[in-house]
Amino acid sequence: MALVVAAWAMPSGAAWADEATVAAGAAIAAHGTVVGRAACSSCHGQDGAGQPDVGIPRLAGLSTYYIHEQLGYFASGARRNYVMSSYAAALTPAERREVADYYASLPVPRNPDPLPVAAAALDHGRTLFLNGAPDKGLLSCSQCHGTDGLGVGSFSPRLAGQSAAYIVDQLQRWHGGADRDPKGQYMRAIAGRLDTPDMRAVADYAASLPRDGGKP
Amino acid sequence: MRIGSALAGTAASMAALAALATLVGGWGLPWSGDDAKPAAKTYEPPPNSAIPEGKFGDEVRLGQNIFREPGTYAAHYVGNDLRCSNCHLAAGRLAGSAPMGPAYTAYPAYRAKNGHVNSFEERLQGCFRYSMNGKVPPLGDPVLVALESYSYFLAKGLPVDEKAPGRGFPELPKPPLPADFARGGQVYAQHCASCHGPDGQGQSSGGKIAFPPLWGPRSFNWGAGMGSVKNAAEFIHANMPLGLAGSLSDQEAWDVATYMDSQVRPQDPRFTGDVQETRMKFHNTPTSMYGRTVNGAVLGDPAVTPPAGTVPPAASAPTPSGEAK
Ligand code: HEC
Ligand code: HEC
Repeated sequence: MALVVAAWAMPSGAAWADEATVAAGAAIAAHGTVVGRAACSSCHGQDGAGQPDVGIPRLAGLSTYYIHEQLGYFASGARRNYVMSSYAAALTPAERREVADYYASLPVPRNPDPLPVAAAALDHGRTLFLNGAPDKGLLSCSQCHGTDGLGVGSFSPRLAGQSAAYIVDQLQRWHGGADRDPKGQYMRAIAGRLDTPDMRAVADYAASLPRDGGKP
Repeated sequence: MRIGSALAGTAASMAALAALATLVGGWGLPWSGDDAKPAAKTYEPPPNSAIPEGKFGDEVRLGQNIFREPGTYAAHYVGNDLRCSNCHLAAGRLAGSAPMGPAYTAYPAYRAKNGHVNSFEERLQGCFRYSMNGKVPPLGDPVLVALESYSYFLAKGLPVDEKAPGRGFPELPKPPLPADFARGGQVYAQHCASCHGPDGQGQSSGGKIAFPPLWGPRSFNWGAGMGSVKNAAEFIHANMPLGLAGSLSDQEAWDVATYMDSQVRPQDPRFTGDVQETRMKFHNTPTSMYGRTVNGAVLGDPAVTPPAGTVPPAASAPTPSGEAK
């Protein structure tokens, strides 16, 4: 446990990054490490934008700390995902850090064009995101991800402009009690209090937030 | 059934946690039977959509904005990085974290802290002086009127009663072992540091504080209610770790509260110039660590203690705004 805690307390962002690791990470993202297998960029893009409409998450805008940690969880099996597990396991710890540094070093891509969402649903999402639902014991997303959804240091990822389909998928998994990672215990407690319309509303609201906290 | 002991060690049991947090989350927190504490009763604070239109509604909305963002809406009275809503969760609506509705109905009240009967406004003044390490808004100040309006709005439907349901923090039994700083440090590292930071300094999101500092120059000062180990243990047991409230044992809550309340923080604004004299006058209770020696250092020692009431002189006047967030 002590180790985990020390790691959690690690600063995010550029703390680990230097030009050499970023360049090595860029090469892994572009070409992969295993001959004959698709590279990270074939799903997440070399610019880290992901494929928002089909739920492949945007990686640019996440901290190197978060990406590195999640790759570790995929590799160890703590976070289960049939595509990602084998990819992460094929990377050495040093390679995981390099590719995390690379994606974290990128500018955050422009939000995708929003899908049409009913104003009432977006409003509901905004209320849940900013206020939670005290009567249901539901915390607000903003308490842990920031009022602008930019994420908090080493603790929580940026949600602003993230793929709504991806967010809904993760919430569904936590709602179903999935093990994701040690910090998933927080999200399971949250997602357990959301029904499907809540999840959609809150994901659409998060996806609509400006990627950099500025004006839309 | 004690919530803490029932759940100690089973933090992973999500069903139990969900059930527990439902309990903790509503106003109907089942209190452990102590006459001084409110009976188990439910009360729903009104939602924002019930804020009326018009001048009074504007005042309620302004009060809520101040409560959530005092550094923006009451900047000239705030001397740290905290918000009222950091300690009074869900913007002062949550039972078990000293919610504003049941507080409103409990004043005027005698307070041993200052030895006389306090109006609700005077009670609010104390929050700025101590919890916000700031300056006291004068009685009748627009900031206090707005906060009072918001509290009145949240109190609607409650009886005028100092034991209205949901008031204060749920009482926590004394720990089996005397509370311990070193054990508290371990609890802190394991359950708190990931959010509040290894040195209690908090963490921000895009430049805005998201996880508030628990000690240091930007946190509450030595005169604050949260500086009492008892208040802190009760608050922490009922509300922290955020999202997993109730997962700490009683012992862990007392230990980590002792750890948190034995750190460097801004001076007590009532400091007489002498630490032991200040302790005798204002902290002469086992629940205050002020003036005690921890790890060879005297808590409150002016040589290492940041000043009280550090409101930047240039802090601007509040911007009245009716938009509830
Ligand atoms: C650092 C945490 C903290 C912050 C920040 C804080 N408070 Fe408090 N507040 C407390 C604690 C702890 C108590 C209970 C104190 C006691 O019982 O001695 C309390 C008590 C109160 C009470 C009386 C409650 C009752 O039931 O009698 C009111 C009213 C109040 N606070 C308002 C505010 C306002 C308004 C702000 C922002 C300007 C604020 N507080 C900021 C911790 C905090
Ligand atoms: C998941 C992140 C998280 C964890 C873990 C966590 N807290 Fe908090 N804590 C918060 C947030 C966020 C707030 C402010 C709540 C708000 O504004 O809604 C807070 C508020 C507080 C406050 C009142 C504000 C202040 O600055 O004094 C105290 C005291 C506190 N936490 C203590 C603890 C302790 C002790 C632990 C470990 C047992 C802990 N917290 C674990 C996120 C966390």
